[in-house]
Amino acid sequence: MLLALLMCYAGFTALCLSTDRHHGELLHSKPSPPRRLTLRVAGWLLLALSMWPAVAASNWAQGVVEWCAVLMLSALLLVLLLPYRPRLALILAGVGLLASPVAAFALL
Amino acid sequence: MKEGFRQAMAWLHTWAGLIFGWLLFAIFLTGTLSYFKDEITHWMQPEVQAYPLDDARSLAAAQTYLQQQAPNAARWFITLPDSRDPGLSVMWQDNNDPGKRGNFIQKVLDPVTSQPVQARESMGGEFFYRFHFQLQMPYPWGRWLSTIAAMVMFVALITGIITHKKIFKDFFTFRPRKGQRSWLDGHNAVGVLVLPFHLMITYSSLVIFMSMVMPAPIVASYGDDSRAFFNEVFPNTNNAPALGQPGVLLPLGPMYAQARQQWAGGHVGRLVVNNPGDVNASVNVVRAGADRVVHDFGSSVSFNGTTGELLRVSGEQSLPAAIGGSFYGLHMGHFAGPVLRWLYFICGLAGTAMIGTGLVIWLGKRQLKHAKTAAMPFELRLVEVLNMASMAGLMIAIAAFFWANRLLPVSFAERSDWEVQTFFIAWGLSLLHAVLRRGRQGWVEQLSLGALLFVAIPLLNALTTSQHLGVSLASGDWAMAGFDLTCLASGLFLTWAAWKMQRRAAPQLKAERARGLTLKQEAN
Repeated sequence: MLLALLMCYAGFTALCLSTDRHHGELLHSKPSPPRRLTLRVAGWLLLALSMWPAVAASNWAQGVVEWCAVLMLSALLLVLLLPYRPRLALILAGVGLLASPVAAFALL
Repeated sequence: MKEGFRQAMAWLHTWAGLIFGWLLFAIFLTGTLSYFKDEITHWMQPEVQAYPLDDARSLAAAQTYLQQQAPNAARWFITLPDSRDPGLSVMWQDNNDPGKRGNFIQKVLDPVTSQPVQARESMGGEFFYRFHFQLQMPYPWGRWLSTIAAMVMFVALITGIITHKKIFKDFFTFRPRKGQRSWLDGHNAVGVLVLPFHLMITYSSLVIFMSMVMPAPIVASYGDDSRAFFNEVFPNTNNAPALGQPGVLLPLGPMYAQARQQWAGGHVGRLVVNNPGDVNASVNVVRAGADRVVHDFGSSVSFNGTTGELLRVSGEQSLPAAIGGSFYGLHMGHFAGPVLRWLYFICGLAGTAMIGTGLVIWLGKRQLKHAKTAAMPFELRLVEVLNMASMAGLMIAIAAFFWANRLLPVSFAERSDWEVQTFFIAWGLSLLHAVLRRGRQGWVEQLSLGALLFVAIPLLNALTTSQHLGVSLASGDWAMAGFDLTCLASGLFLTWAAWKMQRRAAPQLKAERARGLTLKQEAN
């Protein structure tokens, strides 16, 4: 469930950064069109792929339920962090991305 | 046309949400607490000791006790302890009058000594669970009212998605410290981010009560024989009747083991022994609901009690049973381990927060128009009072329920009823207080009282039992420790809320006083 959580959180952060307003708030610049596209694709890919570790860790039914729960909670966490601790929100996503290969290795 | 449609939806969302909001807030909060039903019960009956799980020992203890106490009962029910509920619960139905349903007698046993535990009488978490769909009303009115509330909730969700059309565009937006704007942002954020949960929980609650709400499809396909429908959805186990000759029941342990083999190691929820003293005794071993997401009501293995012969293994679920069972399973979350259970709990809190913020927004919007006049119109005042009592008052009532559990003497007559009474008395008093006090001041006082009651619960537990945080944390009794810590956290949250309210109330009071002064001067 941890790997799914990390991937979902990073995915939502990427999607969030792909919007003009949030990119401006977090990184103080406007994203260039290719960058916006990359972020959007990466975000959706991470969200879609995060289903795999959730299902792989248990059976299908339980995995899908856990995936949904993690999906909702990671978005909630991100949205609550953004106005209060924007830097922490970004750092968490970075740490999550760095840690996910380790978590993936532990799963195998 | 499009705008007209959206306006109609907004109207529906506003008014359906308001009228049922107070009730839905209570249903959501108590329902959310029900995810920790067993843990709450454990806290409220601290006499029931938690032991490392040993099903064989528990089963032997239960059988020894029942054979001594109720050898001629019509039926025994044995519910094994699990990681959440440490109690070994046995129940039997006495067999005095064959024509009538016998009385049920329930005891909680100590699995080591096989003696009943002298636990204080308390409904525990069961109270919240029952309340969230029966609303403490006589059958079937409470169920009907809560089902209607669920339907309204469903309507409010759908119309809410249409009304707040920007929720998907502003998916990541939450701007705090901006008054009305922040409340609306918060309402939208907890609404849209946890939307799958909201839809699932609301729709599944309708499915759970479907036979009550919409009997027409059942009547249409099964005629008047609704029994046939239930047999298909909830396959009953047809057990052999008693023959009237005394028999000797075999030990239940091997049957338990054999049933688990049938389920590839699945867990046993409970055992039902029919006619335990008869030669025709039968044993149904029922699978634990915690095993699978899709709940299977009839998953069991049956044995002949005197020969040990395997009689029947319930087959695969039929499709309607699987669909109904998956909604039931998702709603109840029996299958959830500790982490997922906490996620369920947080989702439930988010739903509660969505309803609460919605109520606050309704009032805030309309109060703005009357900010300049001294007196609020009656209907706004009514909403304010109900908002306060239904939200802050409910928190006080819940805390009072826990306090009553620790403070009422163990030997008190009708003790568990009095715990429930305390809950409603506290709630009623908070309503009275809300009527008597002015808006913000009332909020601050009620939130502070709630905060005080919750923060003090770990202390109360330490003073009245031997299971304070130091002991429960050291022994790894996470249900007990988690309850104390959650109460502490709720208390701190309420303190923060009261402090926030107070800070915003202060300038307003000053302004009011200043206005009062100018008015007086003008009069002079």
